[in-house]
Amino acid sequence: MTGFARLALAALLAVAAGGIARADDVLKAKIGVLRLSSSAPVFIAQDKGYFREAGLDVELKFFDAAQPIAVATTSGDVDFGVTAFTAGLYNLAGKGTLKVIGGMSREKAGYPLIGYFASNNAYAAGLKAPKDLAGKRIAVTQVGSSFHYSLGLLADKYGFKLADIKVLPLQSLSNAAAALKGETVDAALLPVSTARSLMDSGGAKFLGWVGDETPWQLGAVFASPKTLTNAALVTKLLGALVRADREYNDVVLASVKDGKAAINDNTKPMLEIIAKYTILPLEQVVGNCAYIDPDGKLDVRNVANQISWLQEQGFVDKGFGVDAIIAREYVKAD
Amino acid sequence: MLDRAPRETQDEATRPVAFRGGGFTPSAGRTSGWIALILVIALWQLAGSAGWVNALFLPPPSAIVVAIYKLALSGALWQHLSWSIMRIGSGWILGTIAGVIVGFGVGLSTLARGVGITFISALFPIPKIALLPLLILWLGIGEEPKIATIALGVFFSTAISVYSGVDAVPRNLIRMAQSFNVPFHSIVRRVIWPGALPSILAGFRITASVALLLVVSAEMIGAQYGIGAFVLQAGNLMQTDQLLAGVVILSVFGLVVGKGINLLETRLLHWR
Repeated sequence: MTGFARLALAALLAVAAGGIARADDVLKAKIGVLRLSSSAPVFIAQDKGYFREAGLDVELKFFDAAQPIAVATTSGDVDFGVTAFTAGLYNLAGKGTLKVIGGMSREKAGYPLIGYFASNNAYAAGLKAPKDLAGKRIAVTQVGSSFHYSLGLLADKYGFKLADIKVLPLQSLSNAAAALKGETVDAALLPVSTARSLMDSGGAKFLGWVGDETPWQLGAVFASPKTLTNAALVTKLLGALVRADREYNDVVLASVKDGKAAINDNTKPMLEIIAKYTILPLEQVVGNCAYIDPDGKLDVRNVANQISWLQEQGFVDKGFGVDAIIAREYVKAD
Repeated sequence: MLDRAPRETQDEATRPVAFRGGGFTPSAGRTSGWIALILVIALWQLAGSAGWVNALFLPPPSAIVVAIYKLALSGALWQHLSWSIMRIGSGWILGTIAGVIVGFGVGLSTLARGVGITFISALFPIPKIALLPLLILWLGIGEEPKIATIALGVFFSTAISVYSGVDAVPRNLIRMAQSFNVPFHSIVRRVIWPGALPSILAGFRITASVALLLVVSAEMIGAQYGIGAFVLQAGNLMQTDQLLAGVVILSVFGLVVGKGINLLETRLLHWR
């Protein structure tokens, strides 16, 4: 009887010790992402096992819009979020429910992401370049979105007032595309993935890329304050992401010419990973490669500009600045 | 045996019994509803002030009141309300007129019934929101698609409630009028219309709420002002206190419309 009790105790201890040891070895994390190429390093780090090598057991949770990722990070459904900055995200961050820990995609010259597109009639009537957008009716998805901010930057660059533009929020990309095709707006801001089919069918005319006109920090990696208390987890995750950032730069971005990545023996394996996670054919992936800093740096000055612009427009609550929403101990600024 | 039986029943009949057949008559108490509402709001406020729930996930009533007050002070509230009332009003009136005409047609004519019921059954379940891109292509992004969205939603419910109302008019009344050689238009005006009115008004109660529901989807189409546009924008920007402020305004609007229909019912159905 005592023999059996000892055996049971030993077994129990062994199981408990094993549990502790495993918890030490592998940290679990859930990352909320969109199926967009602007999150390419996350897919690469997951597929090539960089997270696993760093001692992380990462599960990717896919969303269909940027805003729900920020909400899910706040509510603790995911530990990390990787997506574009939105007014909603800043409003959450301003209340202290999430913090930015690293940079992701950027609008940068030579790497097409968001473009300005004109309707056929407006193009025929003389709307040929982004600077002509002053005084026009322009469709965006939502107020305070990346598209709206891009228009604000354009207005600053060419010295016209945003109030001169009639900004029409149509809530979804398909609505904005329909309005452009139906000639009910003069122009629209659309991501390259939505615009390509529209241009191919002759429904719209291309005016320019946001990255060429006004480069800015589009996306970021962020986490909830609860996740940030686990410094080992955050450091390991960012380390694995930077490794993927660098490889993505060296292989894919280095081959981009005229806005398209080359398909060769070198780039193909990585492009296939992106194609697999974004569920896009390889030919579309190559024309849709977001620029991402090789060191995962964040353009902090631009983020500060975004916050103050959105606060001026009344889309973000006043009373906080960039320092309140950035975890300085993790963010590498440039 | 025979003469004992009635005596027994008589004995029982003489036993006094309190009146039992009162039925269930729930009457709307004047105070109980308000007290329950106030209790719920007080508990909600307490949960917010005591910090049991994050103000971001459930803004306390005080924050919602402040948001409405700020909105009213800035003048934007009236702008939002007047645009929404214009859209709801014109969409509801258009949809109701078309629905009443089609409903009467389906209720009175064999041909219209066959065609009408088929189309209503086929088109009613289509979510109007799924048609937004098409509506934009057909009607642009001005007021037309917004009013059309509301009118479409109102039309189907009205048509259905009108033709079921017409069907429910007692047949013997119609037959009697026909026997007395009353002309068709008089039968419709004096027999069928009043007979169908209770169910038409019940339909209005539903369609008024449908119009309020649809104003949010209608104002997805490039609206700058309107309660629906305001709610959408607050949701997009994660300003949860403003989001709930918009929702409260919508439900107050619903209460007012409900009271209006009550008034209409007592006016038009006083003969009941």
